[in-house]
Amino acid sequence: MKTQTIKKITQILGIVMITALFSCPSFAQSKDTATTTAADQQLTVKGKVTDDKGPLLGVNIVLKGSKVGVITDENGEFTFPKSLSSGDILVFSYLGYEKQNIKIDANTTYINLIMSSDLVEMMGAPSSNKPYKSKRFN
Amino acid sequence: MRHLLLFIVVFQSHAQISDFDHINFSKADQMALLCKNEGLNNMPELVYNLTSNLDTDIERYRAIYMWVCHNISNDYNLYLKNKRKRSKYQNDSIKLKAWNDRFKKEVFRKLLKQERTICTGYAYIVKELSKLADLDCEVIHGYGKTSMTHIDELDPPNHSWNAIKLDGKWYLCDPTWAAGIPNPETKIFTFEYNDGYFLSNPKLFIVNHFPEDKKWTLLDSKTNTFNGFLAAPILYGPAYTNLIEHIAPEEMHHSVHKNEKVTFKYKLQKSVVLESISFLIDDGNNSKKTTPNTVSIDKQSLTLEHQFDSRGFYDVHLYIDDDLISTYTFRVKD
Repeated sequence: MKTQTIKKITQILGIVMITALFSCPSFAQSKDTATTTAADQQLTVKGKVTDDKGPLLGVNIVLKGSKVGVITDENGEFTFPKSLSSGDILVFSYLGYEKQNIKIDANTTYINLIMSSDLVEMMGAPSSNKPYKSKRFN
Repeated sequence: MRHLLLFIVVFQSHAQISDFDHINFSKADQMALLCKNEGLNNMPELVYNLTSNLDTDIERYRAIYMWVCHNISNDYNLYLKNKRKRSKYQNDSIKLKAWNDRFKKEVFRKLLKQERTICTGYAYIVKELSKLADLDCEVIHGYGKTSMTHIDELDPPNHSWNAIKLDGKWYLCDPTWAAGIPNPETKIFTFEYNDGYFLSNPKLFIVNHFPEDKKWTLLDSKTNTFNGFLAAPILYGPAYTNLIEHIAPEEMHHSVHKNEKVTFKYKLQKSVVLESISFLIDDGNNSKKTTPNTVSIDKQSLTLEHQFDSRGFYDVHLYIDDDLISTYTFRVKD
């Protein structure tokens, strides 16, 4: 019964957070007590982010639906500044790499993440306001 | 001049800006302005600041799009460098991939540190920021045709833009061309926002944007071919703020006889006065402002008829007031 209740509350928490993203601008304040429930597990999450070549410095890690976040150091390491709960989602983003969402569960203490480079081909024809001029051969 | 609200009388069912006539973008535009100095060091925070006070997906997308168009410069030198290399390695996929992998890193570094980029960078950053706002946005690669692109050089694909899904429908945007225009001589970029590239009418978009994957024309593929695109007239930025559709002529180059009647047809975003329509006709030596022989305006429908009375080869530019809309060429024989 108890585990079911916790599961249900976590699910509702998830829905509330996603709804709050669109309806409660004040949700993001770290002092907000809206997410404090009996299910809070106060997890301290640390981790390391790398790509195929080594640690990534400057990766943004943010708690989904909030502004609370951290950036990886030169070793690719981070400690999330806020205690997290099961069901929280951490969004890892870095320009040029595929964004990843990692869901926290009760056992999460350390995240080892490998980010992959975004597959994108570069091209770029700029706009022009210069009137077209035909090539003439006279 | 910014066109924040486009009032368009109902014409087509194609997914375009008029689907959102009831939305006022001023709050979204204001958010974009407020975040002007934020930079891309913390993209999630930027997205949060841009969108958390907005209630609808369209407004959130608008805020992101406007931020990109008003803060990211077009790096003309970067464009030239890439164009050269991509052309050089066109037939060597290994070298092309190696170049792209190296160049990509340079592009992202410049985008992050200097807020400068090329088309794909614009489309990519719009997509990434949109994804962080849980919006469904894609980068579309394809062919972009301007007065400076040589038609015979339109392979490989040379341009990137975005498709965004809103309320279950896909829409087209071109943040690169919307942001402004670099000067090819000085290489200096000037921000000059063109709202016409936001949720453009696919029927207008197809005249100078052709996607590699045809499904992204958002039109019936049978009637819109690559050859049709290659042969189409040239459109300029102001075409997107003046026209809903470019109906005729469908081709850029024409061979006609003296005094043969030529018809031009357009659907306008707003009604204009007859006097605002003119051609600038360049015979190779001189350019002359000319009023088309017949100009008829019926609400938003514009029809022009013109006859050329001398032999020659002419570049014909259409103007609505001072806005350069399109170019056609006419070889006039006896």
